Amino acid sequence: MDVGFSMSNSAPGEEPPFELAKKVIQKFVQRQVFAETKDELALVLFGTDSTKNSLDQDGQYQNITVHRNLMIPDFELLEEIEHQVHPESHQADWLDALVVCMDLLQTETKGKKCDRLNISLLTDLNTRASSEQIDVIIENLKQAGITLQFFLPFPVEDDEESGRDADRGSPGHPGMGKGLSEEQKSSVDIVKHIMLNLDEENGLDEIYSFRNAIEQLCMFKRIERRPMAWPCQLTIGSCLPIRIVGYKAVTEEKLKKSWTTVDAQSNKKDDVKRETVYCLDDDNETEVEKDDTIQGFRYGSDIVPFSKVDQEQMKYKHDGKCFAVLGFAKQHTVRRHQFMGTQVIKVFSGKDDEHAGVALSALIRALDELNMVAIVRYAYDRRSNPQVGAAFPCIKKDHECLIYVQLPFMEDLRQFTFPSLENNKKFTPSDTQLSAVDSLIDSMMLLEEDDNGDQKDMFKVHHIPNPAFQRHFQCLHHRAVSPSTPLPPMEPWLKAALECPDVIAERCQGPLEEVKRKFPLTEVEKKKKLKTSAQIFGKDSGEPDAKMAKGDEEEDYNLADIAEGSVTSVGSVDPMHICQQLTRRLEQLLSNKNTAYFMKSITCIQAFREQSVKLGDANLYNGYLQSLKTSIPNRGLEVFWDLLVQDAVTLISKDEVKGSTVSKTDADQFLVTEEKKKEAAAPPAEDTGDVDDLLDMM
Amino acid sequence: GRDSLVFLVDASKEIVIGLIGCFSFCLMMTSSHRDLMALVFYGTEQSKDPSKSFKHVYVYHDLDEPGAKRVQEVDALRGGKGAQLAAETMGSGETSLGDALWCCANLYSDIKLRLSHKRLMIFTCRDKPHEGDSVKDRQARTKSGDLKETGVIIDLMHLMKPDGFDVAPFFRDIISPPEDESELGLQLEPCDKLEDLQKRVRAKEQKKRAQARLHLCLGEGINVAVGIYATAVTARKPAPIRLYRETNEPVRSKTRTFHTQTGSLLLPSEIKKSQVYGKKQIVMEKDEVDAIKKFEDPGMFLIGFKPMERLKRHHHIRPAAFIYPEEDEVKGSACLFSALLTKCHERNVFALCRCVSRRNYPPRFVALVPQKEEVDEGKVQISPSGFHVIYLPYADDMRTLDPPQCPTASQRQVDKMKEIVSKLRFKYRSDAFENPVIQQQYRNLEALALDMMAPEDTEDLIMPKVDQMDQRLGPLVQEFKDLVYPADYNPEGKPAAKRKTADTGGGAEKKPKVEVPEDELRAHVQNGTLGKLTVPVLKEACKKFGVHTTGTKKQELIDALVDQLGQ
Repeated sequence: MDVGFSMSNSAPGEEPPFELAKKVIQKFVQRQVFAETKDELALVLFGTDSTKNSLDQDGQYQNITVHRNLMIPDFELLEEIEHQVHPESHQADWLDALVVCMDLLQTETKGKKCDRLNISLLTDLNTRASSEQIDVIIENLKQAGITLQFFLPFPVEDDEESGRDADRGSPGHPGMGKGLSEEQKSSVDIVKHIMLNLDEENGLDEIYSFRNAIEQLCMFKRIERRPMAWPCQLTIGSCLPIRIVGYKAVTEEKLKKSWTTVDAQSNKKDDVKRETVYCLDDDNETEVEKDDTIQGFRYGSDIVPFSKVDQEQMKYKHDGKCFAVLGFAKQHTVRRHQFMGTQVIKVFSGKDDEHAGVALSALIRALDELNMVAIVRYAYDRRSNPQVGAAFPCIKKDHECLIYVQLPFMEDLRQFTFPSLENNKKFTPSDTQLSAVDSLIDSMMLLEEDDNGDQKDMFKVHHIPNPAFQRHFQCLHHRAVSPSTPLPPMEPWLKAALECPDVIAERCQGPLEEVKRKFPLTEVEKKKKLKTSAQIFGKDSGEPDAKMAKGDEEEDYNLADIAEGSVTSVGSVDPMHICQQLTRRLEQLLSNKNTAYFMKSITCIQAFREQSVKLGDANLYNGYLQSLKTSIPNRGLEVFWDLLVQDAVTLISKDEVKGSTVSKTDADQFLVTEEKKKEAAAPPAEDTGDVDDLLDMM
Repeated sequence: GRDSLVFLVDASKEIVIGLIGCFSFCLMMTSSHRDLMALVFYGTEQSKDPSKSFKHVYVYHDLDEPGAKRVQEVDALRGGKGAQLAAETMGSGETSLGDALWCCANLYSDIKLRLSHKRLMIFTCRDKPHEGDSVKDRQARTKSGDLKETGVIIDLMHLMKPDGFDVAPFFRDIISPPEDESELGLQLEPCDKLEDLQKRVRAKEQKKRAQARLHLCLGEGINVAVGIYATAVTARKPAPIRLYRETNEPVRSKTRTFHTQTGSLLLPSEIKKSQVYGKKQIVMEKDEVDAIKKFEDPGMFLIGFKPMERLKRHHHIRPAAFIYPEEDEVKGSACLFSALLTKCHERNVFALCRCVSRRNYPPRFVALVPQKEEVDEGKVQISPSGFHVIYLPYADDMRTLDPPQCPTASQRQVDKMKEIVSKLRFKYRSDAFENPVIQQQYRNLEALALDMMAPEDTEDLIMPKVDQMDQRLGPLVQEFKDLVYPADYNPEGKPAAKRKTADTGGGAEKKPKVEVPEDELRAHVQNGTLGKLTVPVLKEACKKFGVHTTGTKKQELIDALVDQLGQ
């Protein structure tokens, strides 16, 4: 990177080239850091006040500093770029800098295997370069197999194009200022000369403008994995094998790293330990050693012990790796929505085997011409479960292959029946309604015709980077750079990439209004928007929650125990004692203030009430409920109280138990008028909300 | 709550035998072991019920969780022997459906558990069970009314008799009204074949439960309520349950997070999440980790439409789902949904949507593919009307491959292959293949549970029937091989054997141990270049430095080494 003084010059209102170049490098390094590629990177600055490079001799190669040797980039480098790379006040010959880079690459990659050597030069070309050595340099680049990229403050046009309108770009493009200086003009010629010499065809494509580069580097790298070859034989019957090789072509990619749990104070992983213990389902939750457990399976209501060894012994075994044709079927009988599994495999003919290539080609073409598909048994290896799947023919301009997708087993299918929509007069749309939808579809077609009359897809999902990853890296990066600030909002470009294209959004306004007019949609007022506790917490409530789905099973377990334990214990002899136990458990539950615990608490209270009525003793229960009510605001249990109200768990009235001091109306009012007044019949309870006090009162 | 299912079976001879198949099928398929099932026969000679108050009703099994014993007992009624056993234990006699329904009502009321779903299926092939006895008819109607009032859904599973089955005079009043009027005709049609009946039982037995209910948003303020259903889910072997060795009772597991030094339990607020990138530890709160994933509230948001041919076959990342309108949530949903469906189908386009299926899930794009209703000859719905939801891959999910350049086949070679393909044609049905792994596991458990000597044999349906294939193909295979393979070519052999010469010893020879000198390793740790080493080398290094790691993944090995050597 050129840090010489001319890099800080800029036209008014424009960012100086230095800042832009720095941004390009920062973005580039960020991407490398998060993609965790094994690419190594060195940073050479030129135009620096000092000199530090291995060619520094006899006043040659001055003002060029090797800032960092070839290493895998990390945050240290990012911080250095941020804080240590400044504009400096000298100038250096960019061709000299190029030579320093070449030397660095060659000495530091000795003995290493590298796929590619590349030098990216970020400069404004504002120094006179001595072009005497240029042919030697080009020759050396070619020999060492080093590729070049130039990043400049201005775009460089093809000679022919720029010849046509020579002044194009000069005033228009930012970064050009008042046009190019003499130095720049001659340097541009040298750059072109080098690039075209290295690659006659596409050499100039590797010259970028800073702005262009920043745009292209704004998204984090997509996750890339090296495709793994899966060599196998496709078999038809017993005597027709064809050597093939399969590659995963499409699969839902996951982030390579996962979160580790650390202690909040020390940020150390080692300070946190997770441990799983096993315990019996008894009152004491007796713990048992893991070694004293065996595994079993449910068979209906029975549990059948079935040890791992036996299971291994008796399990389904097969011959391993296989891609065997079971038969051929018409393509239309294999429906798209029946595709199973999480991947698509492309099958090519075996490596370096043209006979297999011809044989496979014959199969692919035969299937294609007949509109058929091969139904195959697929097994990745001996350890994995075999699948049934379909191999579709796929013929492209430059290659042919089979596309394998897994198909369902009988056990996978769920044949749901739904009421017919077509034959139901209530739901049949009228002709005007249909035409409203018609014009909506017209206005929202995502294909447009380009100049050649070809259909162009405006919204290709498979070109969009996974927004979850982009956001993930954005937040990680932010946290790494500025640890104490809250996470940033979503990047605007990312948000925009997920939205309907502007053209469409505008075009469909009218038709959408029409649809809105033609189709009255009314949200059904739920009879009770307030659900009872069971509906809210019931496992099969319609509203799913990603978090619920995974985690909270564990907690639930213990809770169920506490609640159920208490409910069953009511039946025993000493009711007084039992009810005390109950309230204690209740307090235990409520102290957690987790919504999931509330439902258990309600079960407890209901049981408490039921038993009290049975025993004909209302005072204990009424007293408890009343004091509970008074403590609600203090303890922040309003949510719980609302649930209690919806489940209509109120005081025990005289009508139910003779000894009760509460009238039927009072009991009903108890839940309704919350703020009205404290119940007269209630024992004078303080608003302490303290658990012990409440219990002592019993 | 739990689900429950009562089979009420007409004990007249023909029906019993066939139905047992249905029943044991259902036993096997019950979605949850906690579901309750009962099997009751009516029109029997003998009587048996818990209250001992009904005649000619035989409660074979009362409402309970089905277990191994019950399966055995039902199996005993199968086949010729089974029929004999049935005749001996139950026989057939006078019929009173009213009594039978009453008895079933008692079964339900004896259950103290909360039942979320109550279904009763009547199996019969007699459309006039009481032969016109109007008193009995009336009684049956009253009792069925009582049952329906308590939330029991009554289905009729009837088989065709030679002289036809007429639902109208009697059974129409007994059964629960269908979900909508259009279904009426369908439901009242009797089954000709037992298999159809089985299918019908299965379709009814599988309760559709929406995975999620959300809004399909066509534009600002145009929200159609839909339910998402999973119509195909990869069935897996059920997870094992941990049992205490001494007593075989299930144990529960508890996972605790505690501080290594102090040993005190850690609250969620006392832990954070971290990742390391570029040698820097990045720490976030648990809440933040969740918040990162959130883009917007659940819903499907219309982006636009594309012709069906733009839906590429290989753009597949997970099994499809299905959506159907939820008129109960937003009135008018069904109509707009239906219009959209009709038009998409007619114009052969799909709708592209951005979809957030659960809270805190990042968005995915989906193709909504229109599906018109289809029914088979047995009048059983094969495909309901609605949209299939096809999940589409992002750029990250597409892998870059380098397709090998190969010669293509000549038309003669292709034609020969076409002959082969044509010989091996068959009609694909998605439910034709059972999963041998799961079937074997089930048979094994069955054998253990029922104390059988050995598990029943499972037929591996996804094994190619090689002999049959060879026979059908005859000389075609050789002819094709002659056309494509040279005489000395061995398609089963290794490729040209260029690089394989080194280890012809059958791979028995162990690869020499790969080791990296310590200083070099440290240099790798320093420069963050450990990733360049291969997994075996890393494992060796772990061993050498006494690094204990449970992981086998490369990243885990690297992390472990960095932890050890980086300090």
